[in-house]
Amino acid sequence: MRRSIAAGGLFAAGSLMPVSSALANQAAEQSTTQTGAHVPATLVDGKVVQPRRELPVLQKTSILVVGGGPAGTAAAFTAKRMGVDVTLVERYGYLGGLATGGLVLGIFPLYDRDKKQVIFGIGEELMKKLDVLKYGIIDRNKAPVYPTIDAEAFKFVLADMVLDSGINAYLDCWGVDAIVDGKGAVRGAVFESKSGRQAILADIVIDCSGDGDIYAAAGAAFEKVKTNIGLISRIGNIDEVDMAIGRGSEDPEHPAIGKPSEGRPSKGRVNDLNGHAGNSTPAPHMNWLNMKGPVGDALDISDLTAMELKHRRGTWGNVEKLRQKPGDEQAYLAETAPQLGVRLSRLLDGVKKLKVEDIRGGAKFKDVIGYSGAYANAPEFQIPYGSLVPAKVENVLAAGRCISTDFQVGDITRLIPVCWVTGQAAGVAAALCIQDKCKPRNVNVAKLQNLLHQQGAYLG
Amino acid sequence: MTFLRRVPRRAIQLTCFVGAVVLVWPVLPWAIAPRVFVEASPFVALASSIATRSIGVGVVLALVVAVVSSFKKRWFCLYLCPTGFLLENASHMGLRKAARWRKVPPVGRYVALLTLAGAVAGYPVLLWMDPLCIFSSPFAVNKATNTISVILICVGLGVLVAATLVFGMLWCVRICPLSGMQDMLFELRKALWTKFTAMAAPQKFRVARRVFFAGSGGALLALWARRAGAARYRKSDTLLRPPGAVPEDRFTGLCIRCNNCVHACPTKIVHPDTGHEAGLVGFGAPVIKFDRDYKYCLETCNACTQVCPTGALTPLDLAPKNKYIIGEALVDNNVCLTALGKKECDACELACPYDAVKITWDEDQYNAYPVVNDKCIGCGACEVVCPTTPVKAIRVWTQKPA
Repeated sequence: MRRSIAAGGLFAAGSLMPVSSALANQAAEQSTTQTGAHVPATLVDGKVVQPRRELPVLQKTSILVVGGGPAGTAAAFTAKRMGVDVTLVERYGYLGGLATGGLVLGIFPLYDRDKKQVIFGIGEELMKKLDVLKYGIIDRNKAPVYPTIDAEAFKFVLADMVLDSGINAYLDCWGVDAIVDGKGAVRGAVFESKSGRQAILADIVIDCSGDGDIYAAAGAAFEKVKTNIGLISRIGNIDEVDMAIGRGSEDPEHPAIGKPSEGRPSKGRVNDLNGHAGNSTPAPHMNWLNMKGPVGDALDISDLTAMELKHRRGTWGNVEKLRQKPGDEQAYLAETAPQLGVRLSRLLDGVKKLKVEDIRGGAKFKDVIGYSGAYANAPEFQIPYGSLVPAKVENVLAAGRCISTDFQVGDITRLIPVCWVTGQAAGVAAALCIQDKCKPRNVNVAKLQNLLHQQGAYLG
Repeated sequence: MTFLRRVPRRAIQLTCFVGAVVLVWPVLPWAIAPRVFVEASPFVALASSIATRSIGVGVVLALVVAVVSSFKKRWFCLYLCPTGFLLENASHMGLRKAARWRKVPPVGRYVALLTLAGAVAGYPVLLWMDPLCIFSSPFAVNKATNTISVILICVGLGVLVAATLVFGMLWCVRICPLSGMQDMLFELRKALWTKFTAMAAPQKFRVARRVFFAGSGGALLALWARRAGAARYRKSDTLLRPPGAVPEDRFTGLCIRCNNCVHACPTKIVHPDTGHEAGLVGFGAPVIKFDRDYKYCLETCNACTQVCPTGALTPLDLAPKNKYIIGEALVDNNVCLTALGKKECDACELACPYDAVKITWDEDQYNAYPVVNDKCIGCGACEVVCPTTPVKAIRVWTQKPA
């Protein structure tokens, strides 16, 4: 038992060591158990030890996408369309990640400072599919008012597309570890599910886990950040008359305003939620309500547990207070999001770290793979391919909120349509790696950009 | 006067006029030039140093003018005053109905007396009638952001020129307090030698009575205006003065509406007040309004405090200016996008140059909203970036005692 915690799992204390490929060391250990015969963790000298074991290989695939959120689904769809073998693994029982399970229904930032849409490609395609659904999406092409989607409609669209696409999808399946070969290159990932701990071998792994679980396990360098973690909810029967002016928007022509307090606001006085709370959704009489939440560590299970519990209690209390406001007596809590609103946790140290100075200065990149729209004080900005590629580890790409940015840029690249952009680019790049038999960092950027352009992506 | 005697005076007048324009424009790389120009009026220098109980360089200059003009009648008017030069030329073009003003009593000297008495009470009531101040004001017109401001900035000199075209030199000869003050100095000097002692007793009494009434009237007016200004300020929620402003009861008196501060402001947030904010006593005095996009009181600028000729705005270096409290930012959570769960907006927090606004999570309310701390000076950076319209969720309000 020289290497006793070989299959200890990412979240066990001190076990960030990658699972060195069982294939590489098969002969070295006598204690390796047979596939399928389960040996439980054992208590040895007061320590819990997971015996070394061979993992069943669920699948061998060309491209493995870990995480089925906006970035993961975008990556899987685009890679599959290029004719390569794609496997998609998702932790929850539905696809869409924070856009569905997190109830982040607002699709922003889509537009540049001139109210021109700068995010197209797979994201636009998905929204077009929502366009034809009743109660699927509202406020399309009304820049700068951003579209708002319906979570169930989006789950339907993604399920429909995955079923028809030929992607091997595994849901309720939690990616917990990377598989690396003797040279440290990623060769797949390990999953926990009701079927136990299994491996999927792949030529390229796209880490769309949000938290960067796979690249971290594979030993890629990253920056760990803590920020606010909230929980979005949907509130029904919210005063409809008020909502006519209650839309969130930065445009002076579209007032984003509740009813102002009369006269001078008192110092330190805090108002409860009122009928203007939240933003309207495609579902009638229904608002989605964002929650900032306190700062927490999204990689700490006690923080996450505390937030899950307290946020649901707090949301219920807020809705009870809301019901006491005139006009809002019939408001009810339709649902709290199944997933916590984790904003940022790990930020990759990639080939290019996208910094706030870059976006303020309007930096142009030779390897641009897409744009983010203007958001808050930041203008629209280019996203380079280098921010998806880890600085050292091979065969893995990042997409979604865990890509290589600093904290302030990450606060924008984490948003739903930007995840579509990075997901699509990672999917196409991974497919190119398979077709051209190269490493992600050596992808022909001109070819990648050409393909993205052909798929309708906006590169400036 | 012969032609030969007139030419040098014209030359001096023209030089002074050009000099005045150069100072006020200001084309010189000398930030305090507009202030020095207005301070060069002995009336302003004297009254403001009495009112602020401080002596500046201007007073020395004023004493020189005072001494010279007590020997040579209206010496300042005839040679130095650019307003006088302007009006003199206007009167040549005008209707020149000189007879119209011959019967007007010498108002200027009573204005001067009233003002100096008010200055003793801390409030130089009619100091805004100073001719250099009136001359300086229209130069701020390029910083006016609306028609009303243009009118307020230009009205003083405009009225004088119009009146001169119609009535001739009425203003200069009868109404201008600076000429009135010079007249008094001239007569005082003469009286000290001969005249006053030679006067008949009833005449002496009349002079003394006028001085007494003008003086006590000025003092009473000053006291009333100070009370009215302070009361108005207590009631106001939106009255914001430029940085360095002295307390409101004295500000509207010390401020002579020269509009140097309006002119100095690079972001055009200083406007002359229509009286809407501070009432009658505050008419024309500068107020801050953040009504233009992304313009606030910059943390890199103290220009307005450097150009005030009377000390209504105390000259402040950058560091103390950035601690001067213009107002206080208050948040209306009924409008704030973050407080209402509409958007992840932290525009105010990012914009604040003083680290005074923080989006804060409130465990009791179970909500997040902007909280303003004591570092806030009311510069307006948060107000101008707040995306809500038409009412901003975070606005700068008149500061109230806690």
